[in-house]
Amino acid sequence: MDAFIQMENVSMLYGNNGVRAAALRGIYLSIDAGEYVVITGESGAGKSTLLTILGGLQVPSSGAVLIKGVDLSSLSADRLADFRRETIGFIFQAYHLLPYLTARENIMVPMSPLRTSAREKAERAESLLASVGLSGKEERLPSELSGGECQRVAIARALVHDPSVLLADEPTGNLDSTTGEQILDLFSRLHKAGKTVLMVTHNRANLFRATREIRLRDGKVAEVDG
Amino acid sequence: MNIRKLAWKNLFRRKSRAVFMGLGIFLGIGTFVALASLTAQMEQAVQDKLDRFGANILITPRTEQLSLGFGDISLGGTQVAHSRLTTADEKAIRGIEMKERLRSVVPFFLAAADASGKNLVWMGVPAMEIVAARPWWKISGSPIREKGEVLLGSEVSAALDKGPGGTVVSGGRTFLVTGVLHPTGEKEDGMIIASIGEVRSLAGNFRGVTFFEVAALCKDCPVEEIVAQIGDALPGARVSAIRQVVESRKAAVDQFRRLGLGVSAIVLAIGGLMVFVTVMGSVQERTKEIGVLRAVGFRRRAILSLLFWETGWVSLLSSVSGAFIGVAAAMLAAPLFGVEKAEAAFSPALLGVAIGIVLGLLGTVPPARRAAALSPTEAIRSL
Ligand SMILES: Nc1ncnc2c1ncn2[C@@H]1O[C@H](COP(=O)(O)OP(=O)(O)O)[C@@H](O)[C@H]1O
Ligand SMILES: [Mg+2]
Repeated sequence: MDAFIQMENVSMLYGNNGVRAAALRGIYLSIDAGEYVVITGESGAGKSTLLTILGGLQVPSSGAVLIKGVDLSSLSADRLADFRRETIGFIFQAYHLLPYLTARENIMVPMSPLRTSAREKAERAESLLASVGLSGKEERLPSELSGGECQRVAIARALVHDPSVLLADEPTGNLDSTTGEQILDLFSRLHKAGKTVLMVTHNRANLFRATREIRLRDGKVAEVDG
Repeated sequence: MNIRKLAWKNLFRRKSRAVFMGLGIFLGIGTFVALASLTAQMEQAVQDKLDRFGANILITPRTEQLSLGFGDISLGGTQVAHSRLTTADEKAIRGIEMKERLRSVVPFFLAAADASGKNLVWMGVPAMEIVAARPWWKISGSPIREKGEVLLGSEVSAALDKGPGGTVVSGGRTFLVTGVLHPTGEKEDGMIIASIGEVRSLAGNFRGVTFFEVAALCKDCPVEEIVAQIGDALPGARVSAIRQVVESRKAAVDQFRRLGLGVSAIVLAIGGLMVFVTVMGSVQERTKEIGVLRAVGFRRRAILSLLFWETGWVSLLSSVSGAFIGVAAAMLAAPLFGVEKAEAAFSPALLGVAIGIVLGLLGTVPPARRAAALSPTEAIRSL
């Protein structure tokens, strides 16, 4: 039986004609369902690149990425979008909320192409907001929320389609340590609830929550620590 | 929330951007509509002016061998013998099917009669119609208004050695000369012009008409049609279009129409470019947002329909208001361009709205496709 998430000899070259910088060089990776993996490494080591490739946000220059046995490179653009929607929840360091939408509306965005009734969508958004501890702030714009609250909204948005995998790229990078801890508690809770979590982080203090650390150096896996 | 609502929210919350995009469309379409409807009105005004410029249909008795000029009229004795048309015919002319097209029907009566000892041709016209029927006449003195007044052709004035204020005696009556025509190069230089009733009574023919001049309103110029209808109404008459008048009128209007089309085409190209560029710019600005939407699972088609809804709304609203303002501006500006009664022209407005929407949507496609073709990561990184 294949692993839940598998990378086989994945390389990523940035830049076209002329200087091509390798961000990833021949990565092999295998992650089981329900793991909580922390990806560490120096800035520029290729952590974000690895995560976006896993999330189907970009395509590697070579190598194969299999999630639940499906090779992402075999998917059409539309199927890849469906895969992102159904399987992956992506959380960015900079939240990437739409600034002109309220907290509730931001959470409803991933549901907007769907035919579900507006009422159901709103109810789903509200229950997600409650689950990340933001009841009563449904009508706030991102500019009216603190950084930690914005990240909670972003996490709630990532959970809309109940994905099995959460990919978080330095989710606490913009937050003070107390707020960061609360966000990490939230991830621990999600992990306990059965999500597979892959998180890029700088902070080694986070490690105790994880089941495994993958350390990258110069686009290679330097060390895997279970 | 669905795509349409998301589009609407985006527009509403990012008002200044929406307004900026709309402004480009508004100005482009407004200018196009203003110029297009102004030229349409000017074309109409040129048409109207030409229509006012004299008659374009001549009605003469069929049986006489008359040319269109006056020179070949045989004037035997003191009476014109061939006056087969009568005042009753005017009613028949005005009763044709296209009677609304007839702007004026002017009877003329020509007769030879004595004038202070010389045998001259008298031209009788209803006094009130003279200015309309012969707008090109220049008169020293004033036109005739009452009975007992005459105008002298320039040659007559010289031959009789009479000018404004002088008198002419005929049939035992004395006529006051109110004015003298500047030379026209036409036969009337050798005629005395008086009110038609006076000439008839000098000739002893009280219902006679030598010929009618008809001025038909010439929009789309169905002159042949009008000629045929008058011919049917007056079987004894020869009805002919004064082709030269019709043709030159058409030529002038056509020329103006071509000018208008040319101007509109240029303005449309510029306005269209403005629409295109503003829409492209505002979609390009949103590349990052498009990346985020793709990251949360939007298919490309969902992105395209989101952007289409947005630009669709903006281009609809701004082209409608642009068209509205354009029509209003054309109405206000019309008097400056010699249009006397300005009328709202709706076809340029409709065309403008259609063009605004189409261009808005077209302007969406290239940047939207480009944004959707980027990987979400690249799109999010873009600034
Ligand atoms: N879009 C890009 N174009 C060119 N080079 C890039 C791009 N994204 C990342 N890189 C380069 O790839 C390497 C890895 O980047 P990244 O995955 O962002 O590292 P990390 O997240 O570990 O800091 C870096 O050297 C970075 O400069
Ligand atoms: Mg990074």
